[in-house]
Amino acid sequence: MANKTTYWRGEEELKKTPEFLESAKNEFHESLPLDEVFSENNFELSSSRRDFLKFFGFSVTAVALAACNTTPVKKAIPYLVKPEEVTPGVANYYNSTCGACSSACGIQVKVREGRPIKIDGNPLSYSGRGLCASGQASILSLYDTERLDGPMKGNTKTEWDEADNTIKAKLASAKKIALITETIHSPSSLSVINDFVTTYPTQHIVFDPISYSGIIEANKVGFGKAVVPSYNFAIAKVIVSFGADFLGTWISPVEFSKDYIKNRIPVDGQKMSRHYQFESTLSMTGTNADIRVPMKQSNEAIYLASLFNLVAKKLGATQIPIANQIELAGNTLNNAANDLLTNKGASLVISNSNNPEVQQIVNGLNMMLENYGKTIDLTKHSNQYKGIDTEMEAFVSELEKGNYDAVIFWNSNPVYSYHNSEKLSKALSKAGMVVSLSGTKDETSELAHYICPDNHYLESWGDAEPKKGQLQLVQPTISPVFNTRQAQISLLVWANKAQKPEVDPFAGKQIMGVKYDTSIYYTYMKSVWSTKYGVQTEEQFNKALHDGVFSIEIPSDSMVSYQITASSLANGVPSKASGNDSIDLVLYQNVGIKEGNNANNPWLQELPDPVSKVTWDNYIAIPKALAEKNKINNGDLVKVKSSSFTLDSIPVLIQPGQANNTVSIALGYGRKGKVAEKGKFEKIGKNVYPFVSLASGHRQWMNNGVSIEKIEGSYELAMTQTHHTIEGRDILREATEKDFLANNAAGNDMARPHMYTVWEKHEYKRDGHPGHYWAMAIDLNACTGCGACVVSCSIENNVPVVGREEVRRRREMHWIRIDRYFAFENTDKVAYLPNTDSNFEDGFITKEKGLAAIDKKESSSGGDFSHYENVKTIHQPVMCQHCDQAPCETVCPVLATTHSTEGLNQMTYNRCIGTKYCANNCPYKVRRFNWFRYNDNDKFDFFFNNDLGKMVINPDVTVRTRGVMEKCSMCVQRIQEGKLKAKRERRQLNDGEIQMACQRTCPTNAIVFGDLNDKESEVSKLYRNKRSYHLLEELNVQTSVKYLTKIRNI
Amino acid sequence: MTKLKAKSKKTMKRMLLAVAFLAVFNFSALAEGPNAAEGKELFEQQGCPACHAIDRIVVGPALKDVTKRRSEEWLLKWIKNNVKLRQSGDADANQLYADWGGAAMNVYENLSDDQIKSILLYIDEASVPPPATEGDKKDGDVSVDQEGSFYSKTTLYILVSIGLVLLILAYVLYRLKNSMQKLVKDTEGVSVDEKPSALRKKLSKINPTIATLGVISVIGLSLGAYGFYFGVTEVGVQRGYAPTQPIAFSHALHAGELNVDCRYCHSTVDHSKSASIPSLNTCMNCHAGVQAREKYNGEISPEIQKIYTALDYNPDEMPDKRYGPNPTNIKWVRIHNLPDLSYFNHAQHANVAGLECQQCHGPVQEMEVLQQHATLQMGWCIDCHRKTEVDVENNDYYEKLHAVAKKDIEKNGDKSKYLKDGKINITIANIGGLECSKCHY
Repeated sequence: MANKTTYWRGEEELKKTPEFLESAKNEFHESLPLDEVFSENNFELSSSRRDFLKFFGFSVTAVALAACNTTPVKKAIPYLVKPEEVTPGVANYYNSTCGACSSACGIQVKVREGRPIKIDGNPLSYSGRGLCASGQASILSLYDTERLDGPMKGNTKTEWDEADNTIKAKLASAKKIALITETIHSPSSLSVINDFVTTYPTQHIVFDPISYSGIIEANKVGFGKAVVPSYNFAIAKVIVSFGADFLGTWISPVEFSKDYIKNRIPVDGQKMSRHYQFESTLSMTGTNADIRVPMKQSNEAIYLASLFNLVAKKLGATQIPIANQIELAGNTLNNAANDLLTNKGASLVISNSNNPEVQQIVNGLNMMLENYGKTIDLTKHSNQYKGIDTEMEAFVSELEKGNYDAVIFWNSNPVYSYHNSEKLSKALSKAGMVVSLSGTKDETSELAHYICPDNHYLESWGDAEPKKGQLQLVQPTISPVFNTRQAQISLLVWANKAQKPEVDPFAGKQIMGVKYDTSIYYTYMKSVWSTKYGVQTEEQFNKALHDGVFSIEIPSDSMVSYQITASSLANGVPSKASGNDSIDLVLYQNVGIKEGNNANNPWLQELPDPVSKVTWDNYIAIPKALAEKNKINNGDLVKVKSSSFTLDSIPVLIQPGQANNTVSIALGYGRKGKVAEKGKFEKIGKNVYPFVSLASGHRQWMNNGVSIEKIEGSYELAMTQTHHTIEGRDILREATEKDFLANNAAGNDMARPHMYTVWEKHEYKRDGHPGHYWAMAIDLNACTGCGACVVSCSIENNVPVVGREEVRRRREMHWIRIDRYFAFENTDKVAYLPNTDSNFEDGFITKEKGLAAIDKKESSSGGDFSHYENVKTIHQPVMCQHCDQAPCETVCPVLATTHSTEGLNQMTYNRCIGTKYCANNCPYKVRRFNWFRYNDNDKFDFFFNNDLGKMVINPDVTVRTRGVMEKCSMCVQRIQEGKLKAKRERRQLNDGEIQMACQRTCPTNAIVFGDLNDKESEVSKLYRNKRSYHLLEELNVQTSVKYLTKIRNI
Repeated sequence: MTKLKAKSKKTMKRMLLAVAFLAVFNFSALAEGPNAAEGKELFEQQGCPACHAIDRIVVGPALKDVTKRRSEEWLLKWIKNNVKLRQSGDADANQLYADWGGAAMNVYENLSDDQIKSILLYIDEASVPPPATEGDKKDGDVSVDQEGSFYSKTTLYILVSIGLVLLILAYVLYRLKNSMQKLVKDTEGVSVDEKPSALRKKLSKINPTIATLGVISVIGLSLGAYGFYFGVTEVGVQRGYAPTQPIAFSHALHAGELNVDCRYCHSTVDHSKSASIPSLNTCMNCHAGVQAREKYNGEISPEIQKIYTALDYNPDEMPDKRYGPNPTNIKWVRIHNLPDLSYFNHAQHANVAGLECQQCHGPVQEMEVLQQHATLQMGWCIDCHRKTEVDVENNDYYEKLHAVAKKDIEKNGDKSKYLKDGKINITIANIGGLECSKCHY
C-alpha cells in the first residue's frame, strides 16, 4: 500500500504540461549549444572528415602546447612572528554574536590562518546550536569588494583626521542633532550613545525596516511596558499564529524554531503541539502548520475578535461587541478556541500585525488564556526590536522643516526602507550635515556628506543583549580588512570621549598595524561591564568572552494588571468584513533576503525561497482564482497600483496557498546605490517598501485595495521548484498523529517491495568491514524548510554561485536542495485516487493515473479554485544518498565515482572526464555538473571572481573546474578531520563528534549523521525508528540516508 | 667570477688564520695549568655563547677586557655562583644585576678555579683584535667549488656529444675511404670481383618499402614508448627540485651537524596538516645570539642578517627590544608542491603513523640545499599505503578493528586473513587507505 496522497511541486507538474513533460524527460535542460558555437566560428556541425582532422590536429597541438608550460614557482611565506594561538592548517573557533540581523544569535566563528571562513551557532547561546541562512551567509559581507576603504567626503576619499575635525566642528555648533539607528541592544553601544547625547544635543531615533512597534505600543497601553515580550514556544502546546512567520522571519526565528520543534517530534506517549496558522501569504511557517487557514489580511482583526469572543464565551468573560463573527468551514475557529482553552497557560496567540489595536486583541486573548509569565514573558523581554514608527514619522516631518543641523545614520538605511523615501531624501537635503557610518555605499550614505565606514561585525569588539539578562559578546576574528573604524569609536572620538588605554591590552599581540586601535572600545566595553554587571576581573571577563554568553539574574517583578477592557478592543475591528470587492497587497519578508540589508549577498540571492523556490527576484504571488479570473499566467508582468504608489511591472507567480483576493510581494529587493552602479546586482527585484501604509502612525505590512493590471511582456523567474524532478514517484510519507499513536509505523507500514539486484555477483556487502559506516537520518517532521543547510553546505564545500541565467537553465550547483511538495488538503473539490487495487501498479500509484484524476475533477469544478487556497506542504531535503549499490558508480567509464568501505559514494574530480552518465543514472537527481569554470570568470562575477571574495574559500576542499561532476561528499573533509583527531588522541571516535555542515546549522536538528556500526549512535537509533524509510527503496540501491515520516497533528 | 675569487680569497685568509690559531693553541695546550685553548672549549661547552659574546652584547654584557674591568678574585666568585655573591651583599655584584634588568646569570659551581681561569685567558686572548694580515696567495690551495655538481653534469653532456660527433665523423671518413678506394680501383681498371655476402643476399630479398616502413615504425614505437614513459615519470614530477632559497639555510648544518630535532622548527607537524615553515621568531630563539661572527671577520653572517632585516631588528641594541616597524617577508620557494586536488595531512603520517620525516623527505640532514626527494606521484603514495602496517595495538582508535582481528585469529587460526608471519597484519590498504576520497575531496 502506498501513500495515497498525490504530491506535486508546481502546477506544471500537477497538470503535466507538455513543457514540463519535455523538460522532465531530459536530464539536462537544453542540449549543448554546439550549433551556435560552431556557426560563430564559421564551422559547420555536420563537419566533414577534413574538419574533423582539423579539430583533431588543433586540439592535439593545443594540448601539447599547453603542456609545454614550465611548472610555476610557488612561494611560501611564513609568519614573521607567529601568534601563539595560530597553527597553520588548524582552525581556531571563537564565540561571538551574529550581526546579520537584530536577533543577535550566538555564533562560533571558524578561523583558518587568521581569516574567518565559516559561522555556526553557539550551543551555549539563547538561540541554540543552529543558525539561519542569512546568518550563515553574513560572513561573505566581510569579504565584499563593495565595502568602503576609508572615510569618504561625498564621493571622494578623505582621511580620518580631516573627517573627524570637520564633523566635530559642525557638531559643536549644531543645535539639534539626530542619530538614526536600527535597534541597538548592546549595553556598551547604548552607553556610547548616552555619552554622545550628553555631549551634543542629540535625539536618538530607532528605525527598524521591519518594526514591531504595534506590539510595543499595545504592551505599553495594556501593561505599561513598552517592550516586545519573549515568547517560549518550547512549552506552548497550542500555537495560533496570525500571519506571523515565526520560523522564518518574525522577531527571533532561530530561537523560535529551536523551541517550536521540541514539541513537534512525535514520540510515543507524548502529545505533539498543535499549530494553527491564519494567513494570506503562504509563509514558511504556514507550510509547517497543522491547520492552515487562508485569511484575507484586512479581516485579521475580525478573525482575532471572533476567536476572542469564542474563548470569552466559554470562559464567561466579556465579549468584544462586533457586528460580524467569522464562521469557518469545519468549525476551525471553534476548534482553535477549544484547543487553546484546554491548554491554558501552555498556549500562544501571536500576530504579525503592526497595528497596536490588533495587538491589543492578541494581548487580551493571551491574558484570558493565562499565558503571561508562562509562554509570554514581559520581564525577560526581547530587546531585539525597539523601533517606534511614530518617532520616525515625527523625525521626518521635523527634518522637512529644516530643524536638524546634523543627522547621523548608523547601521540604518531608511532612504531605502522608509516607505516615503522621496520625502525623506528631500528632507535630508535640508539638514546641515548628513553623516553615515555605513560600511558600504547604500541608498542613504549616497546622500551623506561624510561616510565614516564602520567595521564588519567580525572585525569588531562589542556586546549584545538580545533578551533582558541574556548578554553576549562580540569579538574580532580578523584585523580590519579595510581602513575602517568601528562606529562606536567614531562616536566616542566625536564626543571627545575616546580614551586610549594607558597600557595597551593587546601589546605584543598585534602583528599587523591596525590604524584605529580597537583597544579604545575594548577597554570602554570592559569598563561598562565592570560597572554594570560586576565583571571586574580579567578572568571573569575572559570566561564570558570564551563562552560568548553571560547571563545575569533578572528579578521577576509582579505582573502589572491588564488595563484594557473587552469593549474598547472593538476599536480596532472593522465593522464589515472585506470580501471579493477588493484585493489586499501583503508585504512579507523572504527567509533569505529578509528586510533587504543583505540583498547583495549572492548566496542569499541564489537560495531558493522556501515556499516558491524562486531565486534572484521577487515577484507578485497571486492566488489561482484571481489568475484565472484575470487570465494571468505564470511569468506575465503586471502593474500594481495602490492609492499612493504604482509599481510599473513585476512578474507573476501563481502561488498555491495564497488566500483569495490577496496578493503578496516580498520586501528587501530592488536595492539601489553602489550595488546597482556596478551592475552586478542590478535589477534584482523591485522595491515595495513604498506600498507600506500607516495605521495611526505605525507602518502596516499590507495595503488594502490595490489593483493589478496585466501589461505587455513576460519574464521568466529563475525558479528551481521543478528542477531535478523525481517524476511523481512515491518518496514522501506522512500520517496523522492519531494514526501514529495507534501505530508508530503509520504511513510507513506498506509492504516492503521485493528487492531485485542486477549485480548478483557483485552485491556490496558491509559484513566483515569493522570500520565506520556513515549514514544520515532526516526527520521530515523537524525540517521547516528554512534553507540554512543549503547555504551552510555551499560555504563549507566551496559550491559556486551560478547566477540567475544559469538557474533558469536548471544548472544551480547546490549539493543539498530542499524539495517542497504541495498536496491538496481539501479533497472534496479535488479528486484523490481511491485506495483500490486497480489503481496500483506494482504496489504504487502511477503518476499518470493520479494526476489524470485530479485534472478531470478540476475541469468539472466550474471555475472554483478555492482548493488552491489551501495546500498542505512537505519539505524534503535531498542530497546524495550515498547508495551502497550506487547506480552512478556502475556507469562511470573512468572510475571517477567509487564506493568507500565506510559507505561513502566518493567523487574524484581529477578522474572525472565529464561524460555525465552518472547524473543520468542517478534516481535522486543530486549530481551537479560544472558547465563552466565558475572561478576567475568574469561571466560569473560573484565572490569567486575576486581575491577578497576568495578568502572565504574552505582550504580543505578542492575548488572544482569546468567539466567535472560534483555532489554531496558527506563532508568527507569533516569526517577525515574528526577521525584524525581521534587517532591523534588515541581514542575511539565519539558519536556526534563529526557533524555535517548541513546538520551543524540546522536550528531544529532535523539532520542527524553518524556511524551505523555503532549500535548506540543517534543515527542507529533513528534507523530503527518505525517512522524511518529509504527513498525509492524498491530500486534496491541501498541508500545511506533515511527519512522519517512526517506526522501532522490534525 | 670576481666575486667567487674574492670569496675564495676570504676563505683562504680565514683558513690561514685558523691554522695559525690552532698552532698556537696546540702549543699552549701542552702547557700545564689554565690555558686559553681549554678555555675556548669550555666557553662553548658550558653554553656561554648563548648569552655572551666578546665584543658585543647578546643577552648579557660583552666580555671584551672583562679581566681589566674586574679583579680575577671577584670574577671567580661571580662566575661560580653569582647568586651567593649578590646575597653576600657585594655592591658591585648587585649593581651589575640591577644594571642588566635583573636577568640572573646561571650558576657554575661545577667549574674549578683553573677552568674558570682558562676561560678568562681565552677571553683575554679573544679580546685582542686579530692582526690585519693579508693572506698570501698560493696556487694549489684548496678551494671549494660549490657548484661542482652542475659542472660535472654539463661536462658529461659535452663529452658525450663530442663523442657522438666523433663517431659520426669516423663513420663518414670510413665510408669516404671506401668509395675513394673503389674510385681508384675503377679508374685503374681493376675489376673487383665482388662476392655478395650471405647477409646481403638475404636483405636483398626484402621489399625496400616494407623495410623502410618497418624501421620507421620500430623507431616511432620506441620513441612513443619513451614519450609515454617520460610523460608518466617525468612531466610534473619535480624530484630533485632544489631551488635557490632567499636564505641559504643549510639543513645539513642544522639538522645534521648540530642535530637540531626537525620538530623544533617544524613544530606543527604533529597536529596540523602542514609541517609549516617556521616563523622567524623561531629562528630568533637561537639566532638572537648565534650570529656566526667568527666566520665573517666579526661581522654578522649575511644569511643571519637577512633574518634581522626581515624582522627589522637591530642586534646591537638590547635583545629584548621588540622588532622594528618595517618588517619584510621572507618568500621561500616551495619545494613540495602537491596539487590542490590531493589532500595531505602531516599529522596523520608523522603523529598517528609515526613515520620518520626522512621516509618521504630523504636524508634532509645531509642536504646543504634542500631538495625534493620523493616523486610525490600517486603511485608512490599507494605503494607505501599497500605495504605499511597499521599499528592497531597501540592506538585505541582501532580498538574495534583490533578486536575483530583477534577474534578472527582465534577462530581461524593461521588461516586468518589478519595474520601474516604469525603477527597481526593489517595494512593501510586493508582499512580503506587506497580509496579515492581519503585524499581527494
